[in-house]
Parts: sequence; C-alpha cells; structure tokens
Amino acid sequence: MFDLKKAMSIAASGMSAQSFRLRLVGENIANVDTSGFQRKTVNFRNVVDRVRDVTTVKPGEVQLDSSDPRVTLDPGHPLADERGMVTLSNVNPLIEIADAREAQRSYQTNLSVFDQARRMRSATLDLIRR
Amino acid sequence: MKVDSLAATQLYGSVQSALRTNPMTAEAEGTGFADALETALAEMRRNLQAGETASVNAMAGKGDIQSLVEALTATDMALETAVTVRDRVVEAYQEILRMPV
Repeated sequence: MFDLKKAMSIAASGMSAQSFRLRLVGENIANVDTSGFQRKTVNFRNVVDRVRDVTTVKPGEVQLDSSDPRVTLDPGHPLADERGMVTLSNVNPLIEIADAREAQRSYQTNLSVFDQARRMRSATLDLIRR
Repeated sequence: MKVDSLAATQLYGSVQSALRTNPMTAEAEGTGFADALETALAEMRRNLQAGETASVNAMAGKGDIQSLVEALTATDMALETAVTVRDRVVEAYQEILRMPV
C-alpha cells in the first residue's frame, strides 16, 4: 500500500472519529432537559495498525462529565423535591454547539486531506496518459 | 584469406552467443513484468472486493460512509491505474506493429 493510499485511509479514520464526536454532541443536546443526565465526553487515541503500517485515530472510552447539574426552582414539576427544586442535566448547550462546530471543522480538514491525496495520485497518473 | 576466415568464425561465434543470451534476458524481463502485473492485478482484485463489500454494507445500512468512500476510491484508483497501464502497453505494441520492416 503506497503512502497516498495510507493518507486516505488515515483521513477516513479521522472522519469516522469526528462523526462519533458529533454523535455524542447530539446525544448531549437532545438530553439537555433530561433530569439527572450526565454529559458524555470522549477522548481520541491513536491506533497503530501494524498490518497496514498506518497510525489511525479512534474514539476511546466514552466518559461521563461529573460536574454539578443545573438546579432550577419549579415547584409544579413532577420531579421537584420538597423545596421545589428540579435537578436537570449538566449539559451546557453553548459548549455543545462549540464542540459540534469543532467536529465539523476537523471533519472538513480530514476530507481535504483525503481529496488532496486523491488528486495528487490522479495528477501523477495523468503524466503517462495521453 | 586464412585470417579472414578466422575472423569470420569469431564474429559468427560472438553473434551466436549474442543471439543466445538475448532471448534469455528478454525472457527474464518478461517474467519480471508478468510478476509485477500479477501482483498489481491481485491488489486490484482485493480492492474491488473491498469496494463491493463496503457497497453492500452501506446499502444494507451497516458500516459507515467513510469506509465506503475509502473503499470505492481505492477501487476507482486501482481501476484507473490498470486502465492507464493497459493503454500504454497496447499503444507500445501497436507502435511496434506499425514499424516498417
């Protein structure tokens, strides 16, 4: 497997990792009002593929953010405690949107690398074509 | 006269040896090219199979779109390479055929 193909394979792994990240962002945003929901985060780790001789990226274990949840005063809420406080999730929509945007940018960068490798190879092959 | 015939046999011998060695080297190069072609075709076949599997998975809703694009691009590239090399080989062959003898 030549280097340009390896580059494409690595870029594809980066795109997959960013897709996973966006999926977690989606879960967090969807559960922003879920009582007791803990925000999910993920760390990426590099994976050395000795068969194909490439270092790709993979999402690691999903971790739960243990920061304090939002607590609001809503005595009419079915889940309110004796003081009328309701415990919501610890998701901050602003941070999630920023994370989603970062995932998108990263995805686009990987896509550019993929396309670049494809075009470089195609341009080289054009040399012997008439 | 005697010297001339000696030179003639020597030349004949050298021509014969040249004729004898030429087909052998040509044959050696031929197998080298055949080997290279075989390896390339095996690689291409693997790529095609990977592309097919990825396509089937993607249509069945399994597998991610990145691996589909990766496999299909690899297939496309392998096919492009094979077609280009084939065109060049056929072109060279035709060039030899057109050569006035």
